[in-house]
Amino acid sequence: MTILVPTKATGATAKTAEMTYVEPAQQVTDDELAAALPDAGLDMAFVADFLSAALTHERCGRHLYRSVAARTNNPVLKRRYEELGQETERHAEILEDLIAGMGGNPSYVSPAARGVEGADTKLVESTSLLGGSLDVTTREMVMLQAVFLAESLDHAHWQTIAELADHLPDGDLKDRWARAVGEVGPEEDEHLEWARETMGKMVMLQAASGTMAAVGAKAEELVETVRGWFS
Amino acid sequence: MAFNPLEQRGIPVEEQFRSWSELSVEPLDKLGDPYTRCRVILMNGIEVESILFAHQFARATDDLDIRRALALGRRIDQQQRAVVNNLNPGDQSPLETTIGYEQVAVDLTAWLARNEPDPALKQALDFALLEDFDHLYRYANLYELIDGRDAAELTDSLTEIMPGRPTVVEHRHPYDDVRPHYDTHTVDPLSRLHVMTIVAAEQQTMNYYLNHSAELVEPVARDLYVEISHIEEQHVTHYESLIDPLDSWFEQLVFHKYDEVHLYWSMLQQEADPRLKRIWELHLEMEIGQLHVACDLLRRYQGVEPEEILPPELPEVPLTFETNKEYVRSVLAEQVDLRADGTGYRPLDELPDDHRYFAFQGIVNEGGTPSEAVVDENRVVDGRDFRDEVEGPHPVAGLRA
Repeated sequence: MTILVPTKATGATAKTAEMTYVEPAQQVTDDELAAALPDAGLDMAFVADFLSAALTHERCGRHLYRSVAARTNNPVLKRRYEELGQETERHAEILEDLIAGMGGNPSYVSPAARGVEGADTKLVESTSLLGGSLDVTTREMVMLQAVFLAESLDHAHWQTIAELADHLPDGDLKDRWARAVGEVGPEEDEHLEWARETMGKMVMLQAASGTMAAVGAKAEELVETVRGWFS
Repeated sequence: MAFNPLEQRGIPVEEQFRSWSELSVEPLDKLGDPYTRCRVILMNGIEVESILFAHQFARATDDLDIRRALALGRRIDQQQRAVVNNLNPGDQSPLETTIGYEQVAVDLTAWLARNEPDPALKQALDFALLEDFDHLYRYANLYELIDGRDAAELTDSLTEIMPGRPTVVEHRHPYDDVRPHYDTHTVDPLSRLHVMTIVAAEQQTMNYYLNHSAELVEPVARDLYVEISHIEEQHVTHYESLIDPLDSWFEQLVFHKYDEVHLYWSMLQQEADPRLKRIWELHLEMEIGQLHVACDLLRRYQGVEPEEILPPELPEVPLTFETNKEYVRSVLAEQVDLRADGTGYRPLDELPDDHRYFAFQGIVNEGGTPSEAVVDENRVVDGRDFRDEVEGPHPVAGLRA
């Protein structure tokens, strides 16, 4: 099991805010964040906050994949969720290495990261808390939608990371960023495209099937139908 | 020795229901160990919080499996609560129970503050400590006034009884009860347990006072309960605002169950009464079983492993009911004049004249204040106020008899 949640034990740090208090030993300031990173002609404290948000989203994405892989009734989706989850975990590791390699703390949780985590928490909750008012096929769609939404933000984050890399001074650090973007970027393209395409297929499968639309279809029958999708 | 509840099996939830006869417990002796009564009062409040939280959670979901899991856990909590609360003896009047509640408030809060690693959370505990300490004094005077009894017989002088921050000055505008919260990622696991515990304790106290005020006959008693119940509402607001709202429903459920495990384990460590020990031990095993259910929900519906958010073991030192006289005196001496100001605190003489605190004081204290009246009336009857100052004169000269 990989520990993805930053805690005091893993060296988590944060900034204080109007309504967020942080124990002194765990506090960081913008000046400290900026000083830890190389000067790239950018607001490096802001960059640290952004990278923390991107990393948090990867970590939450890994949690989302673990959850939907455990709950889908479709073996094809299950396999794919597991694969994408493993790749997402790898992306989180790559970001951790990038942050640490710049002199930052991968366990720093920025205010932007809190915002992302709040959205991601509600996203994963949306796949379960309203489960009682969704039939089996709709639950599958809701889980896939959550994946699509998560991958959309993830994709945007990595595009921005690529743009930031262009601003870094030439040298080893910039090369490392370029390698990371080169490895992760195509996979993010693939994740997003897969989620978008699969959503479309799922809609068409249901739209074309009388069984799927039948009011009162038994849950067991729907599970069997879902199990057969994409096979 | 390190105790990691996640490595314990506990009792599976399906095996936790008990018969009515098993729920029928012999009450405590009301003049027995005061700290056993404190443990009973605290754990009743903890079970109430667990039940209320699970109800709130259930209202946020229509998923059948999640609702059923919550319903099952709540019913078991209800049984646990019945056992714990019915340990209170029937010959213990609501006022005597109230004195127990305030002894809990004082010695729980003081112990938490003494062991709290985060200075801001320690300050929050110290601040409210002095207010609850004063409530004990007011109720003890009421006890002497209407029952002619000595509250020290109940507290066994383990907790001193004398003025704290006077209740009359504790009333503040609700805006000044709201504090910044800790950050869920950086917070010390011990701090999280402390805050969750004190929220539950204060919530139970708030509800107990307002539920029982209508059962009392004497107007001064009814009015005192109403007044102090409002301070307890302030305290619930004060403490609950310390909790980071970023935690998901499933994480909150795990934290609730983890705290229950922590507390039953703590009660078990210090309980001398073998009969009570068996109850704490049984409930500990039950809560471990319930914690496993909460962890399974967290894994399944959020994809988070419990080890990612829980510490590897319970705190080394169990939460302990013990005397805190010296500590309370030191906080009294240093902070009695502190007031809440926005999300922080300030000495009274630094508050501007137009501060909302003074306007609010003017509204609620207009026409007299029950917490002052009860002491005044007792002075008339007994020629002095009731105190149990066992460590010498009051540390604040202006509050000496």
